[in-house]
Amino acid sequence: MTPAISVSGLTRRYRGHAALDEVDIVIEPGTITGLLGRNGAGKTTLLRILAGQEFPSSGTARIHGAAPAEDEQVLRRLVFVREDQVYPDIKIGQALRAASWCCPNWDGEFASSLLEDFGLQTNKPVKRLSRGQRSALGIAIGLAARAEVTLFDEPYAGLDAVARQLFYDRLLADFAAFPRTVLLSTHLIDEAAALFENVVVIDRGRVVLNAAVDELRGAVTRVSGPCLAVDALAEGRAVWERRRLGSQASVVLAGPIAPGDREQARLSGVDLTPLSLQQIAVQAAAGAFGSAPRIGLESGFATERTCA
Amino acid sequence: MPEMAGLGDGAPLFVQVADRLAGEIADGGVGEGERVPSTNELAAFYRINPATAAKGINLLADDGLLEKRRGIGMFVAAGARGRLLARRRAEFAQRYVSPLVAEAVRLGIGSDELIALVKEADREREGASL
Amino acid sequence: MSTWVKMARYNLQRRENYLVLPWILPFCFAIAVVTVGRQPGRNGAAYLASYFIYFFTLGLQAVGRSLPFALTLGASRRSFYSGTALLGAVLAMLSGLMLAALQSTERATGGWGMSMRFFRVPYLLDGPWYDTWLTSAVVLFTLFVYGIWYGIVHSRWGLLGTLTFIAAQTLVIVAGVLLASFEHWRFWSIGSPTFAGLTTVGLTGVIAALAGLLVVGGQATIRRATV
Repeated sequence: MTPAISVSGLTRRYRGHAALDEVDIVIEPGTITGLLGRNGAGKTTLLRILAGQEFPSSGTARIHGAAPAEDEQVLRRLVFVREDQVYPDIKIGQALRAASWCCPNWDGEFASSLLEDFGLQTNKPVKRLSRGQRSALGIAIGLAARAEVTLFDEPYAGLDAVARQLFYDRLLADFAAFPRTVLLSTHLIDEAAALFENVVVIDRGRVVLNAAVDELRGAVTRVSGPCLAVDALAEGRAVWERRRLGSQASVVLAGPIAPGDREQARLSGVDLTPLSLQQIAVQAAAGAFGSAPRIGLESGFATERTCA
Repeated sequence: MPEMAGLGDGAPLFVQVADRLAGEIADGGVGEGERVPSTNELAAFYRINPATAAKGINLLADDGLLEKRRGIGMFVAAGARGRLLARRRAEFAQRYVSPLVAEAVRLGIGSDELIALVKEADREREGASL
Repeated sequence: MSTWVKMARYNLQRRENYLVLPWILPFCFAIAVVTVGRQPGRNGAAYLASYFIYFFTLGLQAVGRSLPFALTLGASRRSFYSGTALLGAVLAMLSGLMLAALQSTERATGGWGMSMRFFRVPYLLDGPWYDTWLTSAVVLFTLFVYGIWYGIVHSRWGLLGTLTFIAAQTLVIVAGVLLASFEHWRFWSIGSPTFAGLTTVGLTGVIAALAGLLVVGGQATIRRATV
């Protein structure tokens, strides 16, 4: 099957600074993928290139096997909800009408119900909307478009927690009824974590982690306790972070912890805490500061001992 | 994390969903031959990706605890509850008794004292449920 | 519905811009009556220029705030351009027809009963109604696509780019004028009823060719515009 999104060797340079540096990503159709990373990591640039709004310096970005830039056969199949969408001086209803002309899978009733959920009136001019209302309009358009490839770039600016939850709920429900490929960039990772089947973490223009969430959850553990006991557990494993204070040590281990090791940990007073997706993303980004870019959990820092 | 209706970070979400569902079957919340929630219902309830919910259901189906009826949905298989309870009993010693004993040893609580504490807790529970 | 038509309708949604259009003529006419109505000759045709200039403004405004959302809706830049130009062409043709009709009325009523020349411009718009229709439509369309090009240049390169764009064009025009004065000194006599020896229809053809160049230039400029 042709991937919904495939990116290969993608680089985008701005005046010598690489916003994206040799990025490779493949996203299968019918999945929700989280695009994670700090501000300025390159998430927006990637999404803009995928939507044909920005041009790569080198490498390729393909949507269902075809380059999106200036190709309407491709562009028709995607929708891109930007954080800072600029609208002409029109009313909400007019923006939705234009969307209904342009989006082949548009569902007007769904759009109306979303407007109602977010408390937007169709006769209100877009320029008079608050930041949150603008975001809500973008979300309504992005969801009601039911585009095969739906790109959201931090679509919730100015929305409170309740409205964001509404967005997640509507997205999940509509995704279940009308499966499509969703790529959602966010820095509110823990909040959106359960939406994702896969996550891609970008840092400084490079992919530092690209994995299925099921493989990540519970697969990275902070191990803390007496230094020697921690070292014993860490023996032969990928270690993501090491810290030491006196006789106490704390390391982050990748990979599942076997029941036997759990038992051993308990007996030696070692504490095991699974990392949340947010913490994993932070670890992955921190790992990028090392020499080699690491993708996946199997690789880690050299497994030298923490206790001298 | 409240947004996931009580699921946590400790294990893959589909495993947690499967555990919850299995727990409900074992407690008799869903009887044998009854329909279990669909993938989308579970996804909406737990606020998780439908693919994750489907994996959880498939885990139980592969285990023979659920059976698929074409076009209708997933149903609790005959004998599922008995199997789940048997499995839990088998795990009981390892999951609850060994840590209990390990902690007791660490605190210097002897086995007689431990048994007395267990009996006391059981009496309190009976008293509370009356 | 082709994307061109969708984009034309999308542009037309900013109704305020187009609702102004019908009011420019009566407004300018009233000013012409007040200012030149008592003068001998009563030539108010210069005020008609406002209508033409507004087309430039319409083109100018068509890009800036409209392109980003059009791209979000999955239009290509080229389609957005073509749809916008299509809208300009339709408006220009309708306006041209209206100007021709008003011109005929002006002639029939002896200059609105006061020997007023408002819709009759010497040499340019002074022929039969179909010539007036053709010439005014072509000029309006040219101004519209010229405006679009400025809009694109401004959205891509900002104020500095726009100023450079103006400077470059000024250079081209100055060079052209110098060249023309060397080569065809005799034919180049500003103020005479003929313009470099061309008939009105011939001049319209030249302007149409210019419009073609502007469309090509605009298309080329919008192709790599980022929003």
